[in-house]
Amino acid sequence: MPVRPLNVGVIVKLEPDFSEGNVSYNPDGTLNRAETKNILGPHSAAATLAAFYCKVKYDAKVAIGTMGPPIANQALRQAQLISNADELHLYSDRIFAGADTLATAEVLRLGVSRMNKGLGADIVISGHRASDGETGQTGPQTAWKLSYPFIGNVIDFHIDQEGRSIYAKRFISLYGFYDVIEEIQAPLPVFISADPSYKPSFNTISERLSVARNLNEARNKADNFEKYLQVYNSEGLGADPRYVGLPGSPTIVYKVEKIPKAKAKRRVEFVDGNDTVQLDMVAKKLLQLMTEAPIK
Amino acid sequence: MSGATQNSEASVGNLARIESYQHLYVVIEHEEGVPVPVSLEMLGEARRLMDNFNVRYSSNEKVVAVVLGDNVRHLCQELIRFGADVVVYADNHSLKHYTNLLYTKIICQIAEDKNVARSISPNRSENYKKPRYMFFSADNTGRHLSSTVLAQLESGLASDINKLVISDLEIRHEHKTKGQPVKFEKTLEMYRPDFSGFLWTTILCLDNRNPAIAREYHPQSCSIIPGVFEPITKEDQRTGTIIDFEPQISGEDLRIKVLSRNIIKSTIDFESCKIIVSYGRGIRDSPEDNFKLIEQFAKALNAEIGISLPISKRPYQTKDQHLLSYMIPERVIGTSGRKVSPVVYIAIGISGAVQHLAGMKESGFVVVINPDSDAAFRDECDIFIKGRLEEVLPILTEQIKKHMLMIEKRA
Amino acid sequence: MERYDVAIVGGGTSGLTALRQLANLGKQAVLLEAGNTAGTKNISGGILYSKKPKNGRVYNIEDVFGREFIDDAPYERPITRYILHATSKDKLYSIDLTPVHEYQINYAYSVLLSKLIPWLAKEASDMSEKMGGGIISGVHMRSVRWEQGSSDIVIDTDELEPFRVKAVIAADGVNSELAEVTKARNKFSSEQLYQGVKVVIKLPETILEERFNVTSEEGAAHLFAGDVTMNHIGGGFLYTNRDTISLGAVYHMDSLMDNPVEPSRLMDTLIRNKLVAEFVKDRVPAKKSSQALISKDEEIRQHFMAVKLLKTWNNLRSEYYSRDGIKRLIESGKYGTKDEIGSRIAFLENELVEKYNYEFGDNYVELEYSTKLIPDGKRCRMKAPYYKNILFVGDAAGRGVFVGPRIEGLNVGIDDAVRAANAVARSLDRNNFDEQYLGNFYTKSVEESPYTRDMKEIDKDYLKIFLDCSKNIPKDIVGSRYGMIFKLMSSGTLRGIAVGFANMLGFDRLLPLVESVDTYVNVPVELADRLGKTIDSNYVPSTPSLQERIAKLDYNDDTFPHIQVTKPRSEFMQKMVSLCPTRCYSCENGDVILQHEGCIECGTCAYETLWRHPRGTKGVSYKYG
Repeated sequence: MPVRPLNVGVIVKLEPDFSEGNVSYNPDGTLNRAETKNILGPHSAAATLAAFYCKVKYDAKVAIGTMGPPIANQALRQAQLISNADELHLYSDRIFAGADTLATAEVLRLGVSRMNKGLGADIVISGHRASDGETGQTGPQTAWKLSYPFIGNVIDFHIDQEGRSIYAKRFISLYGFYDVIEEIQAPLPVFISADPSYKPSFNTISERLSVARNLNEARNKADNFEKYLQVYNSEGLGADPRYVGLPGSPTIVYKVEKIPKAKAKRRVEFVDGNDTVQLDMVAKKLLQLMTEAPIK
Repeated sequence: MSGATQNSEASVGNLARIESYQHLYVVIEHEEGVPVPVSLEMLGEARRLMDNFNVRYSSNEKVVAVVLGDNVRHLCQELIRFGADVVVYADNHSLKHYTNLLYTKIICQIAEDKNVARSISPNRSENYKKPRYMFFSADNTGRHLSSTVLAQLESGLASDINKLVISDLEIRHEHKTKGQPVKFEKTLEMYRPDFSGFLWTTILCLDNRNPAIAREYHPQSCSIIPGVFEPITKEDQRTGTIIDFEPQISGEDLRIKVLSRNIIKSTIDFESCKIIVSYGRGIRDSPEDNFKLIEQFAKALNAEIGISLPISKRPYQTKDQHLLSYMIPERVIGTSGRKVSPVVYIAIGISGAVQHLAGMKESGFVVVINPDSDAAFRDECDIFIKGRLEEVLPILTEQIKKHMLMIEKRA
Repeated sequence: MERYDVAIVGGGTSGLTALRQLANLGKQAVLLEAGNTAGTKNISGGILYSKKPKNGRVYNIEDVFGREFIDDAPYERPITRYILHATSKDKLYSIDLTPVHEYQINYAYSVLLSKLIPWLAKEASDMSEKMGGGIISGVHMRSVRWEQGSSDIVIDTDELEPFRVKAVIAADGVNSELAEVTKARNKFSSEQLYQGVKVVIKLPETILEERFNVTSEEGAAHLFAGDVTMNHIGGGFLYTNRDTISLGAVYHMDSLMDNPVEPSRLMDTLIRNKLVAEFVKDRVPAKKSSQALISKDEEIRQHFMAVKLLKTWNNLRSEYYSRDGIKRLIESGKYGTKDEIGSRIAFLENELVEKYNYEFGDNYVELEYSTKLIPDGKRCRMKAPYYKNILFVGDAAGRGVFVGPRIEGLNVGIDDAVRAANAVARSLDRNNFDEQYLGNFYTKSVEESPYTRDMKEIDKDYLKIFLDCSKNIPKDIVGSRYGMIFKLMSSGTLRGIAVGFANMLGFDRLLPLVESVDTYVNVPVELADRLGKTIDSNYVPSTPSLQERIAKLDYNDDTFPHIQVTKPRSEFMQKMVSLCPTRCYSCENGDVILQHEGCIECGTCAYETLWRHPRGTKGVSYKYG
């Protein structure tokens, strides 16, 4: 009996390219967004790779969605190049602007239900977080609103298609303690976030050949990515205006200010290793730093 | 609720709300019954904030620690000693390992439970709806848990916070107040450093007081960066209320199973120590003896020990097992190893290869001990002690011990 | 276990040619490439020749990849001029060897493998995929084995589940691990190898063309002998690419072992030769040291702004000095005329000077540092290049033509690969993989190759052309030792007899005579001193330190070292401290120890170490090649 095909949804985000030579800062040290190029963020790319894994391994249907201004379709194109996605969704509406994570999650919840010809997704994948101040909350909140169980920081997973369940390994860092890898089983549908270190592994020749085929296909698709692009506005998603954008956002940015203590440029002071008096000064300095430091 | 559009009415509305949202709930993380450091740090900050709060508003709101797990009763007293007024714990075998679904449900049950509220504050609980404030840790688990809990409680959340202030603010906001100035009392100002490290963004979680979209958003919550706040000094005499919460668990909630759990790293802790002492090939003349000097020095400073990459290749013939245990890849600092940012970084006999510098350049204050004053490290440090470690370290160690003794005597 | 017909190990020019040729013949093959993608681990000098020998035939790249090779032009420039320079401390004497270069060729192109190989890979895999095969990159072959009662080869890799094939083509280069694990041949010794070191240098297209006096369809090669080798047997080369220059040097390993000098120092010596310095010169920005006290924030902001301006300046200038670039910029609508672009560049320069404390001056821009071992086919070619049903091609078989100014590796490997693919296809048709049927057939085919002849004997026609080119050299210069030979060779009849006699003696016995410090160093130095002219150069190029060169390379560090030192106190290993091109070795208390992170996998140290390539995707990735 043929197994039910696997539908995958991916949520990605367009982010500023922080690499040297591409990023621009304003005189006050803030990011100059107008002058800085945007790219598919590295965390989103990890999520997209996880979808590609499903594509190669389970011949899954993949839909990729993002909420953002029309320019965000570049992120979708990049994501298609990585994943050979079948559908690209852009959720774009003036009234979505200014949304915090809860209001964003509301849009993405509606978006996921439109994915894969309206069938939604058996697995939704997001990145761990974004580099530009996004908080890593959108994924889990979207999951909660979809009533999908959430598994975070997934570093490896496979799907039991007949048993309709996922086996995933997740990475937990307990700051100041050791790190832990947990193996988790959950029935589909499920929402996972890909750990930044996630890398799919394909370990047979036939899978590797399929990778090459899929990447070829992806290149061809991405050349005409508009053909795969679906743009939804608020109405198209059936969004309740009270739950999206600014009205649906509990939080606001109250103020932005410079963090006062900028790290001083190091100016080296030479000390003669034979001079006991100078060494004593160093010892005092070390103790002072050790006892005064509030951090850590 | 209120939907007040004018100042006076809004203030009246606030009076009513006081009873609906109370206390600061801190979601505790622990590992096998031992609280992870950030949990105690959160309690410390919560204690400081609520002490001020209660003085300022002449109230008696509590710091409520919430702890879930299997066999965690013993933890409760400890949390009280570290600043909690109340500990609500849910003890159940199915809570042995964290799963987002079940933990989220139970934390929300606790947060919204009127009986719990009654036990916390018997006389002021009749209007209780939800916590006023909530803290989570900004680690992998807390980050996700905070998100789903707040999605369920339908309120706002700020992540990765490193400074907190409670104050009364007059806000004029296009949506929140329909452009009118409105006073928001007891507002939690949540400061988060932005990605560039240049800026602090202050996040507020505010009710919509605009009648067109009126809605309440509580609790005001955030996740807190580990290692930022100081725990309070443990007080063995502190007393508090311990509440045994009976969670409602359905079969559906148990559909996520933790099949196995593996600890993957040794306990070398570069994150929470203030000082890291690293050594490199400068120990070569007499590896065993020189390492002893370094170890004594590190001990005097209560520092963790790191190494440069070449050391992990064990370039010296030594049978000293103790030394060998300090020549392992897990201790390497640099691009091929760990990236660290202690308050003080001390590099002994390390020339300062680019790969190494990349691993420590975020450190607060950098001291280098090296006989070669042309070593690349000279441009990346605050103090450069030109000298052989054999001569410098014994003096430094002795001085530090001496001053340390004086500090202790004074205290 | 998965089964495929053929496995090819190594995605260089030979391996990809084999893959494409098998696909042309309708055969399924999978190619394993250790690099992240094909073309990231390969280094060549490099000139790719297409040849038409008078006797016998060779297989050229277009025979396998078709006209598309010419149309898509994944090469740099046709090389149409070939000059040898004899150098002394401050003089230089040039001999035009273009006729030698053009001997029996259809064409010769300068190539950068990072461009050529991805093209070959795409062409080969597109065709191969139709046959159920293709390229598997990021996979490192670990070992091969034969199960009892079967000629099938089981391949173990570091990354994949084992799989089974009927035959293997070993195209895994000079440090062939297939040769190592099967013991098909010994490791090459220093007597059999040359160490090549190269830097790719940026030079905008039209500046390059003007300087070398070539059109867009021409290019130049310059060879350097004499003083620049620091008393080693070997020489320098400079090839013009589209908008870069490949500058390198090749030294006999024996000569380096006698007199170990760090490869990057040899490179620096070549760059500081005045003619070379003038050849590579460009307008280069440099940051002046700053006295102004500014805050850390301001410094960071200025740094980011300057980096951005520099990037724009660089891109715009590259476009400005290229024909298509100007067209592109004008078509984009951003600029109206060429002058407008020019003044924008001047504006950017001015900004950098005025606001960001930069200065512009004569220097050169190094893009990439690389090294490679070159097997001297005369000395180390495998006489029977196979082991059971594994066929060795190109560098892996120790095959290359290395005679005087003639340096050919790429085209030899391509010829081998076609012969190997043909042999394997024939075996697949008959399902016969016996040594007699496969290995011997391939050996015979390779023996018939004109390239093999050139590895065995002197071609007297080639020699004549060479001597004609150098007929102006006074005979006494070559000294009493060679004067006689020279005289003999100059006369047509006598040359015939002399070459006949020499070939009877065999290359083996002639080589120590021909390849000596005398011929490679003393003669050219004397030539330059007596006949040469002085070159004026008004600047000294500032060569980057080795650390800076390494820092420019991309690495994917493998925490697991791929090399193991087994003889930490041997004389050979002591010399590696100098000869490792990225200084991975150091000496501690008499023991040589390894720090493998900077390794660029050249294999210089392989002779006395346990040497493997890094695991798949690990190690260095070249951007130019």
